[in-house]
Amino acid sequence: MSEPRERPRRGLLVAAVVVGLSLALAPVVFQMFSRAPGGGDMIDGFRPYMTEAKIGRYQRDLGIIDAAHTQIGRSLLPALSDGLGLDDGQIIARFPSFASFTDDWPAIEADMGGMLRTMRGDIPNYEAVDALPPFALFPWFFVVPGLFIAGLGIAALVASRRGRATRGLLIGLAVMGIGVVAAPAIFQMFTRAPKGADMINDFRPYMTDSKLQSIQGYFVTIAAGEGNLRTAVLPAIPSGSRPEIDRFVGEWPGIFRDFAPMIATMQENIGNYQGVDALPPFDLFPWFFVVPGALVALCAFGARPRHSRRTRPS
Amino acid sequence: MHTRTRVVLATIAALALVGTSTASAGVTAKKKSSALVGTFQVDPAACTTADVSGSYFRMVAAGGTAEAGPFLPNGDSTCTDPTYTGLTAGTDGGLRTGGYQPQPDPPFDGAGNGLADAIIQPVTFFALNFAVSTNATDPQSGDAVSAPKIVASKKGALTGQVEAISVAYGDQQFNQGAPKPDGSATGGTSKLRGTYDKKSGAYTIEWTSQIAGGSFDGFTGVWHFEGTFAKASKKKG
Repeated sequence: MSEPRERPRRGLLVAAVVVGLSLALAPVVFQMFSRAPGGGDMIDGFRPYMTEAKIGRYQRDLGIIDAAHTQIGRSLLPALSDGLGLDDGQIIARFPSFASFTDDWPAIEADMGGMLRTMRGDIPNYEAVDALPPFALFPWFFVVPGLFIAGLGIAALVASRRGRATRGLLIGLAVMGIGVVAAPAIFQMFTRAPKGADMINDFRPYMTDSKLQSIQGYFVTIAAGEGNLRTAVLPAIPSGSRPEIDRFVGEWPGIFRDFAPMIATMQENIGNYQGVDALPPFDLFPWFFVVPGALVALCAFGARPRHSRRTRPS
Repeated sequence: MHTRTRVVLATIAALALVGTSTASAGVTAKKKSSALVGTFQVDPAACTTADVSGSYFRMVAAGGTAEAGPFLPNGDSTCTDPTYTGLTAGTDGGLRTGGYQPQPDPPFDGAGNGLADAIIQPVTFFALNFAVSTNATDPQSGDAVSAPKIVASKKGALTGQVEAISVAYGDQQFNQGAPKPDGSATGGTSKLRGTYDKKSGAYTIEWTSQIAGGSFDGFTGVWHFEGTFAKASKKKG
């Protein structure tokens, strides 16, 4: 009499197949095939700017303008009022762009300074995200193991139905499950993903069309003010020692050139940012591997073959 | 002849008549307009009074319109109204149709000033010079673009395309053509229009072009060229 074939628990195998297919379909549900590469482009785009040196340079630029603004208040405005006898209304009428800059700068400095402090604080978070595997590969981290799991589960079900051995397939399934559980640890996602979430949260106020328009407006205000200052205000008053103002005027073209590409990068990545922001929170991502991986491993373990009936010696 | 046959023949004759007249109308329409191939010479701006004439540029802030502004005041403008920036002719005298006036390589100096000077002289805008050129490949989008083409109607109305117009400024490139390199003329971008006096050669052309991408995304350039059209001399074979 032949030994009866081992038969795995089919219900658990079906569950493993369902988990595998769910894993494989997750990128489609979350539109990761379009959003993840966009996120990768955003990370690439910001790479030149997310450094201590670059943001330090931007903060120095703002410092130059701020120092000039302080000197304008201390020596230039008195020179206009006392020297030329202009009251506030006359200054506004005669030097409108200069007056706008003088009035608006404190708010501009507060907002831009805050943005730069946020960016600087997010450099470690950015570096953690940048150290993850390329974003464009992310969907495939779900699809490939998901399809393997589903394929192994289906193969085990078919083998079981045909009375063939399933032990190897179940071991493969368990290995796949454990591999999926281990993946976040291998890629240090438990530490890096929450940092990515922090960065995404911090950037949210700045990565909108309206905010970008405001920032563009700041530079128009500064540029127009500097032009008005250089071509109209300074020639109208007696020369004097105004080193901070001279430095601002001298360095403004370079300051503008510093900031312009970063503003362009922000503008070009608003859509990419919004795509990433629409994904599930970054700090959940490790669990998107751990939970299904553990389920698959448990299903494989629980589906271990049992003899269909015990044979008793006659 | 049967009635049905008569109807069929009459229909065919009518269709033939319509077709012939449409074709001849097309020929007539072609004759009514002619492409102006040569140089639209740029007269400098006269803008020291409120009445601005000559060639100039204005920039509309994002969200504004070419009709209502708001226009950016250029502190470096020599115009009474600093929202106007005067233009002066470049080494070619102006904008050439039927060919390109490409930017030099490199297109910028070390300070980020644009260097192209064939169409107009580089213009200081917010402390940096912008320069205008036309290139077979648009420097901003990387798209292939046609050389400028401007057509005059018999009545002297100018239409056409200047999709290859590009501005180099602050180490960045901005397409300022109409239509845009992808053929669109939406948002702040409007088709080129103008006037032309065949006898004197005097012309005006205007177009607006909304910047797409970069640090000035959403801003719109308003271009007004004025001067005399000089027809290209035919090369002897």
